[in-house]
Amino acid sequence: MKGNKGSRWYAPVTVIIGGSIIALAVGIGHGSSKALITQIITLVLGIGYFLLTRSNSDVGTIYGGRADERQHLVYLRASATALRVMLGAAFVCAVITVALNDNYWQSDVIGSVGGVAFLVCLAAYGDDDDDRAHDSEEAMRDETVRKADESRWEHDE
Amino acid sequence: MLSNLYIMKNSLRDQRTQRGLSQAELAAGLGVSRQTVIAIESGRYSPSLPLAFRIAKYFNVTVDTMFDPEEEVEQ
Repeated sequence: MKGNKGSRWYAPVTVIIGGSIIALAVGIGHGSSKALITQIITLVLGIGYFLLTRSNSDVGTIYGGRADERQHLVYLRASATALRVMLGAAFVCAVITVALNDNYWQSDVIGSVGGVAFLVCLAAYGDDDDDRAHDSEEAMRDETVRKADESRWEHDE
Repeated sequence: MLSNLYIMKNSLRDQRTQRGLSQAELAAGLGVSRQTVIAIESGRYSPSLPLAFRIAKYFNVTVDTMFDPEEEVEQ
């Protein structure tokens, strides 16, 4: 429940940094007036996120870095659902752009990176089956064989 | 999957009211949010093993007094 004081700043600062990078790209591609509008929207969003972190709701505590175990579970479920929605949207966009004979690499990249990241994370966070030799049945069988061997050696001596 | 989490019945509400504690006071004592206390009491959330032990220790009872694995809450 107790997050450190700095954790309240993570979400707003991340939003402001990300938005500022987008504003810079807008400035390069679309002119300074549009970049200024993007930057103002970014700052408003950043302030909104900061105010949200003060709330004691689940969303506020998650963004404020004070989430307990149930709220972590809420965060994980929301992240998993958001990933599915994002991959679905990328799939639909790819289908539409291919049908329109338009450039579809953006949807392809999002879908591929999301799918590969999901598989990598499953492998990284999941446990493998390397310890099956210590599985109860096999371990008992190994132990029985070892004891039988020992008693045979003792008998031979 | 995540939606098929096993939920158990518990006596948290009874234990809390017997001791005259509010949900906020209990939440502060356990180091969780008030919403989490509400979710456990209403059977919408089963706490982790460490939290279950913390709850039992807080009320000075055993874990199986607090949580009943035989009774699954209807979802």
